[in-house]
Amino acid sequence: MANQSGSIYGLTILSPIKDDPNAEISPSLAIRMYLQTLPVDGGGPFGRVSNTHMARLVVLDDVVYFGMPSCEEHLKSQYLIFESNFDGELEPYLTQLATEARDEVHNIWQHCIGYPGVQNVDAFIAYMKRCQVETTFYFADVNDKTVQQTLKALQTQSAVASFIEKNQGKRSEELQPAFVEFMRRLNSAPRPKPGSTKGKELTDELL
Amino acid sequence: MSKLDVTDIQGFALRGYNFPFARFHFLKISDKQKGRECIGGLVTYITTGERWDQGKPKTTVNVAFTYSGLVALGLPQPSLMTFPVEFVQGMKARGTILSDTGKNSPHHWDPVWHKEVHAWLGVFAQSQSDLERQCSGLLTLLQGSGGAESIGSQDAAALQINGQPTTKEHFGYTDGFGNPEYLGVEKDSQPGQGKLTADAKWTPLATGELLLEYADEAGELPVAPLPHLLANNGTFMVYRKLHQNVATFRKYLKDKGALYPGGADKLASKFVGRWRDGTPVELSPDKRSEEIVKDQNRNVNFTFGNDLDGARCPFGAHIRRTNPRDAFGFNGKLINRRRISRRGMPYGPYTPDDQPGSDDEEHGIIFMALNASLFRQFEFVQQEWIEYGNDTKQGNDKDLLLGNHGGSGKVMIQGSADPGNPPFLCGALPNFVELRGGDYFFVPSITALRMIAANAVDPR
Repeated sequence: MANQSGSIYGLTILSPIKDDPNAEISPSLAIRMYLQTLPVDGGGPFGRVSNTHMARLVVLDDVVYFGMPSCEEHLKSQYLIFESNFDGELEPYLTQLATEARDEVHNIWQHCIGYPGVQNVDAFIAYMKRCQVETTFYFADVNDKTVQQTLKALQTQSAVASFIEKNQGKRSEELQPAFVEFMRRLNSAPRPKPGSTKGKELTDELL
Repeated sequence: MSKLDVTDIQGFALRGYNFPFARFHFLKISDKQKGRECIGGLVTYITTGERWDQGKPKTTVNVAFTYSGLVALGLPQPSLMTFPVEFVQGMKARGTILSDTGKNSPHHWDPVWHKEVHAWLGVFAQSQSDLERQCSGLLTLLQGSGGAESIGSQDAAALQINGQPTTKEHFGYTDGFGNPEYLGVEKDSQPGQGKLTADAKWTPLATGELLLEYADEAGELPVAPLPHLLANNGTFMVYRKLHQNVATFRKYLKDKGALYPGGADKLASKFVGRWRDGTPVELSPDKRSEEIVKDQNRNVNFTFGNDLDGARCPFGAHIRRTNPRDAFGFNGKLINRRRISRRGMPYGPYTPDDQPGSDDEEHGIIFMALNASLFRQFEFVQQEWIEYGNDTKQGNDKDLLLGNHGGSGKVMIQGSADPGNPPFLCGALPNFVELRGGDYFFVPSITALRMIAANAVDPR
């Protein structure tokens, strides 16, 4: 089914960017300038909209035709492309965007034609759906596991590797209690936060 | 395709000479005009790709230039500007991409690499006295020209064990098995050396994976400088001096080998994908086999398609990482544009096997590799397959032997239900190998050398 692959939703939004010949800073440039100020680590807006696997924001200026015979075509406007792969359904996700990343969403989309603001969440959802185009390709590394499952798996992998490193070669009588204790601590360990680059530290604390 | 003009191609680009002694001089071009004259004088010494039907010569001579060397020789700006970006930048500037950081960073490189190296003059010889004689003659030529001088040199030699030259390297592995075959390059054909076909046969790679101005595996001409005659029959070389921490390696292998049910020798085979005598673990997972090592039809002739869980050859083993053959599916097609021709040679004396060895002693391997595109071939292998593990499904893990682990690396040795071949985790990995210098070089054809010498490089 288009837009969905297993439990993952693939969202593609194309929002036309305003054209203001009198602006001191053009709307597309304003978007680019704002995007450059966003943090690239876990502190970004998609760290808060925490069921996002990956998201990408791109300003599309125009299309260029390569080939023979050449023909000149142009887009009707510049577009803001927003791509996201996330867990769950579309409307709850857009609601989350409008509430959890409200300032960023506004600072970006305010330069787009027809953007109704984020105050009225229903209107924002309706607007985003109007800008939606079908998604058929997904980020390859999202393998039908939720963000939380993926984070837990990475934490487990790292922790198990450290456990093996410390304990391989031990006799069964020693190994079993160590493993039971390890599993108890692993199961009760806090999950790494989305966007976190601290998986290793968490594992080290755990052990 | 037609036969290559081997008289126009530097022999070093086409084949490893397998000589026991070598010296690499690093040159500075001190004067444009005199430097060009010096190159003109050198051309007659250059060993080409011609066959040695009358037997091997006593010595070989080859030359290659860094970007700053070509600038120093006064190549016209419109030509200089057409060289590939990674070559122009040089290896030092590519450090982040290559993970030449930490202990591998330029800060730790030999003094010569803190100067501006303009050219590499490579001499291989049958004997030490032949080497001295040839080098002395070449240095006299350089000196007489007043245009180029040697600002440093590196000796390399086949490791002598019990007085005999061997093909071993310092960790005790037999080295130098296999190199890609290319269309048009005459070589004793060995199954396992080229690329895989859909019907599981081996066939040579496109010439353009090695030489400029020939079609590559994508049917394209590699990115090459202008004019075409400057690039034609040329190639690019990466030179890396890889120091080997023998003591660290031996201790790590001993410590882990004591825990590994297969023992240290088998664990060593899992590190590389070959037993230390060279037997591929893919063909003989449980023991060395002199018979296989000596069999030209078998010693490089294997695939990983029937070992997709890495039970015989682990995903992280050096030879599986750097030449994955069919491990990624698609009959190996994904790797055909990532092959390089290696020309490695050890330096420093071998530490007898019964000694703990040293990390400080001057010993290691001079890694040289040739390819049409440093970016697409060498840099890809280094960045993606040696220093990263995504393609091999190993996350952030690195090549066990070459990785810049920094003391905290880990590599999983896959295994099977066989008690003698269990899965095993190698953690707290140190750097077994450390980079001590190097750069990217352009290896011109004989025609191009003559053009440079005559100041006749005209890109218009």
